[in-house]
Amino acid sequence: MTAVEGAVTVRVSDAHVYYRVYEDPMAGLKQLFSHGRTRRRYRTIRALRGVSLELHESETLGLIGANGSGKTTLLSAMTGLLPLESGSIRGRSRPSLLGVSSALRPALSGRRNILIGGLALGFTRAEIESRADEIIDFSGLRDAIDRPMRTYSSGMRARLHFAIATARIPDILLIDEALSVGDEEFRRRSAQRIREIRAAAGSVVLVTHIMSEIERHCDRVAWLDDGVLRAVGEPSEVVADYLASASPR
Amino acid sequence: MSDRDQRLYDLTQPPSSVAYLREAWRRREFAILVPAQDLRAQNMGTALGQLWHLVNPALLVGVYFLIFGVVIDTSRGVENFLGFLIVGVVLFHLTQRVVLDAAVCISRNLGLIRSVQFPRILLPAATLNGQTAAFVPALVLAMAAVVATGERPSARWLVLPAVLAAQFMFNFGAALLVARIGASVPDLRQLLPHMFRLLFYASGVIFSVEAFVTSPAWRRAFALNPLYDVITCARWCLVGEPAGMSVVVGLLAWCVAMPVFGFAVFRRSEQRLGG
Repeated sequence: MTAVEGAVTVRVSDAHVYYRVYEDPMAGLKQLFSHGRTRRRYRTIRALRGVSLELHESETLGLIGANGSGKTTLLSAMTGLLPLESGSIRGRSRPSLLGVSSALRPALSGRRNILIGGLALGFTRAEIESRADEIIDFSGLRDAIDRPMRTYSSGMRARLHFAIATARIPDILLIDEALSVGDEEFRRRSAQRIREIRAAAGSVVLVTHIMSEIERHCDRVAWLDDGVLRAVGEPSEVVADYLASASPR
Repeated sequence: MSDRDQRLYDLTQPPSSVAYLREAWRRREFAILVPAQDLRAQNMGTALGQLWHLVNPALLVGVYFLIFGVVIDTSRGVENFLGFLIVGVVLFHLTQRVVLDAAVCISRNLGLIRSVQFPRILLPAATLNGQTAAFVPALVLAMAAVVATGERPSARWLVLPAVLAAQFMFNFGAALLVARIGASVPDLRQLLPHMFRLLFYASGVIFSVEAFVTSPAWRRAFALNPLYDVITCARWCLVGEPAGMSVVVGLLAWCVAMPVFGFAVFRRSEQRLGG
């Protein structure tokens, strides 16, 4: 095993997540209204097939794997967004997925979007108003904050998203390919946020395809392959194995 | 398992209905302030801007005024037909807009559903609040129009808030039901406009059921229609049309049964929403 010895913050035990794709939407409707078992008329996609993993205090875990290997599914399951087929996921607090971009409204100003994004994350209006200045400073968008968000560049947008999403320093933060956008200044700020979480004895899970980010931030790396963990361990070793398997032989 | 694990709790267990509603209530500002921002965003870039929230219902009432008040006369059996018509049209449109919008409130927010854990009931609730807020100018215009057609405010007007509250509760239940079904069966979106066209005629919006429907069996059937109940009670308040006991009982039953049924359906396999 690795050198990480902090207390466990999240324990994923033999987690299975299956998606049901209904071939006939009527079957989905029937299932909604009937109490007994309905005839199964769906395809099952086994997105996670028995994943076991522990997160520890003050740890950043990298999660790598090909597209469709189950990385996003694992993050969603950890936040409780997806029901498990079997197994369990236990944690000391509910992990939060970094992402409010979908709640935001491009037609509205950055300032109004801070309100909307904050509400979506479960803040009250009063809490958001008391933090608005801090969020604006962290995003570095003070001059543009009253402009409609659609006038922002994609990097500015990413900075605003990140600033809103991390307005409350969560105990356990899950990041799904968010850091690769934005400029060097933004990367520096987000690395700072990750350090703050770790300093508060929290955990971070970072999903990315950029191996330099893994090396920069992560203490351990987990490699998901077709819903199964192929390896967990030292970043340099796991990344090397992953790259060796991914490159043409 | 070590002793440290005792502090870990199950993250995949859905909350009980009580805990669920408590969390939804704690986050109620989401269902109020977000639709308010959306209403603001809606008319951005138009020449009239926020004025559209007033102009739109005025045009709605204006069209009916032109056709039924000026061009043709279908007022058989109604003393103040124009007032009668406007009350019906405005209230019918409110429920229609809430329900049509609720049918897409889940699919429109899939990204949010997939990234943030929150009680999904907030999405149909936001739809309801947004459409209801957008309806207030129409209601004010309708009441002004009713006065312009010769009605004078009476004690009966005091009952109107209760009728509107009952409609609000019915709309809430209908929004929950339609939001959940619409998320699983998108076909509903195609079907709903036709259902509302049928309901439009079955609610006596543009004619008096009392005067045109003679069969007692059919009249009883009308009383089962929640929108007919709402509109008939509101007309009793504003333009002095008769409202039978069956309509009042029907409205009371709908405004209780619909939210309960809608909530039960919505909560069923809610975890699968967006999956």
